[in-house]
Formats: sequence, structure tokens, C-alpha cells
Amino acid sequence: MTLWFVRGLRRGVVTTRYPARPDESARFLPAPPAFRPGALTLAVAGRLAETCPSGALHVVQEEDGGVLVFDVGRCTACGRCAAEAPQAVTSSGAFELAATDRSVLIKRITLRGEEQ
Amino acid sequence: MTSELTATGASRTVPGAVTTFQVASPDLEAVVRNLSALRLADMFASDGDTPALRLVWANDTEGQCGYVITETPVADGEYPPLSDIAPAAFIEECEIYEQFGIRPATGKPLNRIMLPPHADLPTLGRRPPTEPEEVRAPHSVAGEAFEFPFGPVRQAGVESLYYGLVTSGEEVVDLYLFTWHKHRGLEWRMGGKTPQQALFLAERAEGLSAVAQGWAFAAAAEAATGTRPPDGAQRTRAIALELERLYNHAAAMAALCQSTGLAVGQSAAEIALERLLRLNARAFGHRYLFGVVAVGGVSRSPDHDAIRQDLPGAYGEFKRAAAALLSTNSFVDRLEATGILTIDQARRLGLVGPVARATGLAADTRLVPGGPYSTAAGTEPAIATATAGDVLARFTVMLAEAADSVRLIGEFLDAGLGANTGELRQATAEGGGGSGLGWAESPRGEALSWLQLDDAGRIARARRRPGTGAASTTPAGPRTCSPTSRSSRPASG
Repeated sequence: MTLWFVRGLRRGVVTTRYPARPDESARFLPAPPAFRPGALTLAVAGRLAETCPSGALHVVQEEDGGVLVFDVGRCTACGRCAAEAPQAVTSSGAFELAATDRSVLIKRITLRGEEQ
Repeated sequence: MTSELTATGASRTVPGAVTTFQVASPDLEAVVRNLSALRLADMFASDGDTPALRLVWANDTEGQCGYVITETPVADGEYPPLSDIAPAAFIEECEIYEQFGIRPATGKPLNRIMLPPHADLPTLGRRPPTEPEEVRAPHSVAGEAFEFPFGPVRQAGVESLYYGLVTSGEEVVDLYLFTWHKHRGLEWRMGGKTPQQALFLAERAEGLSAVAQGWAFAAAAEAATGTRPPDGAQRTRAIALELERLYNHAAAMAALCQSTGLAVGQSAAEIALERLLRLNARAFGHRYLFGVVAVGGVSRSPDHDAIRQDLPGAYGEFKRAAAALLSTNSFVDRLEATGILTIDQARRLGLVGPVARATGLAADTRLVPGGPYSTAAGTEPAIATATAGDVLARFTVMLAEAADSVRLIGEFLDAGLGANTGELRQATAEGGGGSGLGWAESPRGEALSWLQLDDAGRIARARRRPGTGAASTTPAGPRTCSPTSRSSRPASG
């Protein structure tokens, strides 16, 4: 066991402050979507809600128009919404998420009216 | 083999590594006896006017690797008691009864596998005429015996299984499992989706084998539609699969250290694990390699430079930890002669992966012809085996596999992967109506998928079997196969 005692001492404490340095691979990692409200019509939002495999997106109709409800807590960053409507959805790049209250993770995006 | 099947009712043959036979129900028992030299890899049913029973047999013989599928319509609700001939079939007999109401003809007791007793039965397919007998929960243990409960929720990455150990103090008189705690009905959720949509669920059926699961599933869809992925895409899949094997074996090493109380060794193995996960992220954009496999090919090409730069260092960390562990007597002593499985037991239970190979069975789906491992010189896997069948043998098999994975990754990179999108993915044919079997060698063994598509190309029936072997959740399985053969099959599927 001496071997392991020495190995442990030699390695020391490896815990660091977070982040110790910027993560080089961060730009490649999947991230939840960011929405361009100007390009989000009711039809596009409906397609996105249908595409989302984890049910993170759904559309609600309110008196003053449609709203896309985005539950970040259910998003798995699979990228299917961005592939479905690249003009309306991009990757947010924010893969480190934290909140003190579940409700903070529910985003509401007002939809643009349909073209006449 | 073919002549034996022909004599008992074969009618259709599909070229390639998979051969499908129609077998009439009265002939099924004789066919199973004839095929018992092969490994029963899976057994499942599908619904229709008449439920059909399908048995998937794997031929692990060197030079003849491939699969045989038998399809048997079950019109009267009963089929021959196959688990009497092939014990590995028992779990599937129970599962099929819950799903479709067809059962072995002997009336032998069946247990609940996927649905707890308080659930309406069934919620999945055809209603059984009577409920499964000998439902274990709730139940009581009487006399001198008492029940020692273990699970279902446990620490670390072990599946939620409830073990009911019935003991009189020293001897274990009964052992039973409740497996439904995390059953998610993924096969049924896939119904009506396109294969590309359902791939999302297939990867998440067993997240630590996302590449193997995704590959097996995509290969099944490709077989059903007659699609052949580009060679470069196949090699990209193989690189991802070997990276998956590497990080899983590092995690298994850490788990062994944890179970032997070697905290510094565990940390050393986890440092290697973390470096391998970061390499995954840099090479493929995901620490656990999700989203790499697509139906018809792959979604992206890896970062070659990242792999060439980071892999030697990460694997060096792995090797240093392994070498130090193998020179630590208190570690080796706890692995040696622990959890011994004989080659006969491994065959009877249909075990696969490092657990089976540590008994001497050289079963590995990478040897099946037609995949990336057989198309270029130097890319044939070196199948590591041992004979002792204990945990130390499994550990040494995993170390040899990790070394070979590093070699294979280099060979695949040298062989070229194809850079542009057209070489990454082959479009699948429109329409459908076919069925296909797909496989991949996950870090824990053979992963299988079978798909039947409707005329619109959407999934009519999906079947998936993670890489833990057909019988790994029977009472003999998890206790003796620790630490790397723990099944997630019934609970996750």
C-alpha cells in the first residue's frame, strides 16, 4: 500500500477553481437553442414543438398572440430544432446552466404574427 | 445448419451475414434443439393478425460469424417451452407474455419483468388471457427464512434492480429480481417514428453505450432499407466505438478500485476517465459521443488532430494506473478467484462481452464480415480472451481490449474517413416495408437491434437488446458477473 500512499502524496490535490482555464472544446459542445423571435411564426414554432424529442418546446395561444414556451430543464441540446428551422434557431453556446429556482428555466418567446 | 433448418420448414433466405427462416410452430422445438450449438442472442415477438415469435441466434465460430433469425407465427397463443432447451430464453418468455399474451405451452410460472403488479396488464400490446402466475410482489417469506432486500436504488452506476435475497441466515434459499423500476417503454415509443427520429431514443436507452446502441439501431434501419453507409462513415463509427470502449473500461477500472476500497487507485483511474471524456468532446463534440451515428452514416467527422494529440496522453494515464494496480497485491487478491464463471455457464446463459471472453468464449460482433473491421488491412480486432473466468481475468481482458482500441483508432485514422458531407452519410431509400437486424460490439458486449418498417418507412416494431447478454438478469447473472456485466436491459428498454 506504500505505493499508493506515495502516489497520492505525489499527485496532491488536483481540485482547482472553476474554471481553471477556458475549455478549448467548449465551442464544439452541444448547447440549448437560442431563438430569433423575428423569424418565429406560429407555423415554425409548431414544427419545432413537433420536432423536439424531449418535449422541451410547446406552443400556447394567448389573447395577444402565440407564445413558444421553452423549458431549458427538459432540453437535451440535441440540435434537432436548429436543423429544422436554421433561420429561427441557433445554438446558444451556453452549456453551463444553473438556476436557484425551476421556474427560471421556463422561457417564453412571443411569436411573430403570420405574414399577410 | 441450413440443411437442418430446411428439413424443418425453412422458406426464405436473406443474403449476407443474416439468414432468416420461417419455421412453423410445431417444428419450432426441433429447430431450437438443432440450433442449440449457437448462442441465443435475443427472442422477441411482434404484433399483427397473428403474433410472430422471432429468435435471433448468433454464430460465434471464427470465420463463420453471423446471425440466424427464425420467424414463427403463434396462432393459438402458445409455443414450445424454449427456456427448457435454452435457459437464456426465460426472461424473454416472461417479457413476451406481458407484451403479447403468448406463452410457453407448459404453463410454467412466469414473472413480471417490465410492468409492476399494480400496473394494468398489458399496457403495451395484446392482452394475455390470464395474468402471469407467481407474481412476486407483494409477497411474504415465512418459516425460519427472512428476506434480505438489496436495492432498487443503489450508489454508483448500477442499475435500479431490487434483489430479494431469501435466506435462513447462512444459505440463500431463493433469489429474485424486480426489474421494472426504470423501464421506459422505449421500444414502444419508437413506434410511428422514422428511424432517424427514433435514433435519439436508441442512443439514450443505454447512454454509456450511445455509439454501440446508435450503430446497432442505424444498421438495422439500413438493412431494412437496403442502404450501405460510405466506408469513411463506417470507419468514423468504429473510431467512436473504440473511444467508447476506452472510456468505459477506464470507468470499470475505477469501479473495481471502489469495490476493493482503493481510493487512490480509483482517483487514478478516474483521472484517465476524465481525460478520455475530454478527448471525446474535442474529437466529436460530446463527452459521451451522443449524436455521432446517423442513419446512413455519421453526422460529423472527428477532429483528427485532437485524437492524435490527446489519445496517447490519456491512454498513458490509463496504462500507468492499470500497471500500478496489477502490482498491488491487495487489489489483485480481491479479484483473483472472485465471481468465477465457467465457459459452459457463459454459453448456457448466453453471456457476451469481456465477461464471456474472460471464460474463453471468443465472441465479438466485430468479427462479423461486412463491417469496417474487415475491409482494410490492419483493422481486424485482436480478440482478447482468458480462461480463468474470474474478475481478474475480466480485468486483464479489458486492459488488452483498451490497448487494441488505441491501435485500431490509429489504423482507422490512417485509412481515411472522408471529409465532405456526401461521404459522411448515404441517403436512405424512400418508403419501406422491410425489416433488418443490426449489431455492434459495445464495451459490455453485443448490442442488437431489429426493426420492422411500415410502407411509409416508419417504425412498426422496434426491438433493441443492450450489450449484456440474453440472460444477464437471471439470478445467476448479476451476482456472478460483477462488475462489468450488469444489465440495463429490461429496466431501460
